Amino acid sequence: MIEFVFLLPIIMGLIILALPPSVGRLLLLITSLMHLQLTVMTWLGKFTPAFAQLFKATPEGLYILLITSFIFFCISVYAFAYVNETDITNKPAFNGCMLLFLGTMSMVTLSDHPIMLWVAVEATTLVSAPLIFIHRSKEALEATWKYVIICSVGIALALLGCFFMTLSLDLTNIRVPLSYTSLYKVASSLDPIWLKTGFIFVIIGFGTKMGLAPMHTWLPDAHSQAPSPASSLLSGALLNCAFLGIYKMHILMVAAGLGQFSSNLLIGFGLFSMFVGAIFIINQPDYKRMLAYSSIKNMGIIAFGVGIGGFALYGAFLHILHHSLIKSSLFLSAGNILLGFNTKKVKKIGGMIKYLPKTFVSFIAGFVAISGLPPFGMFLSEVVIIIGAIQSGKYLAVTMFMLAVLIVFAGIGKACLSMSFGDEVEKLQTKERMLRVIPPYVLLAASVIITIWMPQPVYNTIINSIQIIGGKIHG
Amino acid sequence: MINYTEITIVFILLSVLLSLSSSRLMTLVKLMALQGGAVSLVPLLLEGTQHLPMGELLFFQVMILIKCIIIPGLLVLAVKRVRIKREIEPFIGYHASIVAGLVILLVSVFVTGYLKLSLPEGHNFVLVSAITTMAAGFFLMMARRKAITQVIGYLMLENGIYLIGTALTNPSHTLYVVEFGVLLDLLVGVMIMGIILHNINSAFDDADTTLLGRLKD
Repeated sequence: MIEFVFLLPIIMGLIILALPPSVGRLLLLITSLMHLQLTVMTWLGKFTPAFAQLFKATPEGLYILLITSFIFFCISVYAFAYVNETDITNKPAFNGCMLLFLGTMSMVTLSDHPIMLWVAVEATTLVSAPLIFIHRSKEALEATWKYVIICSVGIALALLGCFFMTLSLDLTNIRVPLSYTSLYKVASSLDPIWLKTGFIFVIIGFGTKMGLAPMHTWLPDAHSQAPSPASSLLSGALLNCAFLGIYKMHILMVAAGLGQFSSNLLIGFGLFSMFVGAIFIINQPDYKRMLAYSSIKNMGIIAFGVGIGGFALYGAFLHILHHSLIKSSLFLSAGNILLGFNTKKVKKIGGMIKYLPKTFVSFIAGFVAISGLPPFGMFLSEVVIIIGAIQSGKYLAVTMFMLAVLIVFAGIGKACLSMSFGDEVEKLQTKERMLRVIPPYVLLAASVIITIWMPQPVYNTIINSIQIIGGKIHG
Repeated sequence: MINYTEITIVFILLSVLLSLSSSRLMTLVKLMALQGGAVSLVPLLLEGTQHLPMGELLFFQVMILIKCIIIPGLLVLAVKRVRIKREIEPFIGYHASIVAGLVILLVSVFVTGYLKLSLPEGHNFVLVSAITTMAAGFFLMMARRKAITQVIGYLMLENGIYLIGTALTNPSHTLYVVEFGVLLDLLVGVMIMGIILHNINSAFDDADTTLLGRLKD
């Protein structure tokens, strides 16, 4: 029963809603460990799906599932300490919704039926909305409202896209069950016009959730208002799940011989997102918003890499992994800073090196990592994407890519340095605790280790996910 | 012989046009109940009831229950709680909205003719009303200020998409587990929107979305 992977967190999440918070936070930790165990067992192929038409362990799904599960484990350790140190009024809702969020995201990664995937993505919106609202301020209220309305409408368009995909199957005389695996096999005989229309709606719909510009407007608000463990999950795990929705349809497009069309759309959205992210990062007064814009930029890079294809596709898949590890580490560090100084303004924070030395190290290391400098993995993935793009002769796109990366480096660097070494305005309020410091370190260390030594099964899974649309490692 | 499908579609189109012109929130909610019921009846009427197995009939009953009674019921609760009776000063006036609704209807007739899909008998009208409902839902979300009207606009959009699904796709694809998932998402979505709506109302003393402008760059 592969369905255990998402049923376990969903059931535990519902149980936790009714339990006192002291038990809840322990159960959160235990369930995340069990989920990691189930994920590894799924990787080893120990499970077969009970509803074979709805769920299937595809390589790209397994890859995202492993990232989600590992990040969630680190975040749950952090949340174990965090939940007692902030003024969250409804702690059971926080713990419960975190697990429901994990469950629905795992469901996205394992779905093989287009509409089941849609149901799961919409469910992630609904269960994460209470997490953003948890502080109950006016700003949190506004962020939640925007999140729910914009994402629901966006995802409704993706449903329309899925119906068009179904229509492209119905217009032929082929009768196969509606699932991505069987659609890939008959892709070349599907109706191309409706497939194209469907892809436009799917990329706009799931692109809203993934944070591609210009549909990104919910993202900075939600990331800045959510409590840090939740922002870290939103950025590190949720955006990948939405990407999966686009990627599965992109595979179908390539298989149907319409790869040129979908690739161009992905490259366009990717470059635009990178620029929107880069422009808003410069002089951003709020450091959590700054990290959110950096996520938009990185989602742009991923869409760009997938659009270029070939060697760059490998880079894009590496980028997904490293972005998730590094960005969730940065959001956790940002949570430590927020707890320490009780402000999100860059200008009011200074002297981190003196007051929060351990967080300083993880925050600066995270900055180095997110800027794409060695020894962290984002260096590797960005270089691979650049090489891939040059190989396919897209010189203008590469120039724009590098320009955006440079702007982001300057923007984040300025904020990071003034926060670390500048003069403080606010006094330190909460000290660091080991449980809140270790997870960001572990996430960053994972990025370094995977850069140096990539485990063979992970490598094989990446290759299996990209091979189907012509992604390759040898240029 | 009376064509029940067409009568239902007329009801859907009327509910769309009326909802564009009404300023009272309670009237809007009642129209949504009518529309929800009509929309869930359409696939039943298209397929014909005599071939339906028991399980499918049960599913349609659940669907009518949710779309026609539970969701409008939740909206009634929300309207009563926020204590607003009508939409004052919409972005686009009511007369202009009706004209826009008629234009949308004409455009959807044109679009349906232009697509030249080989649809079975009767599905063409479903497609026209589906596109109209969808576009009018979008229009309602943009033209009104109150948060609750935006939720109603979202519901209309969703109804339209559901109609497109029933008009265009072959019923043999329908898996009731999946359909039920879509319905459950819609229900929970409206519940969550209702809760946020209530909180917006108590935090700002009004459920006006123009008040939500604190987060900016």
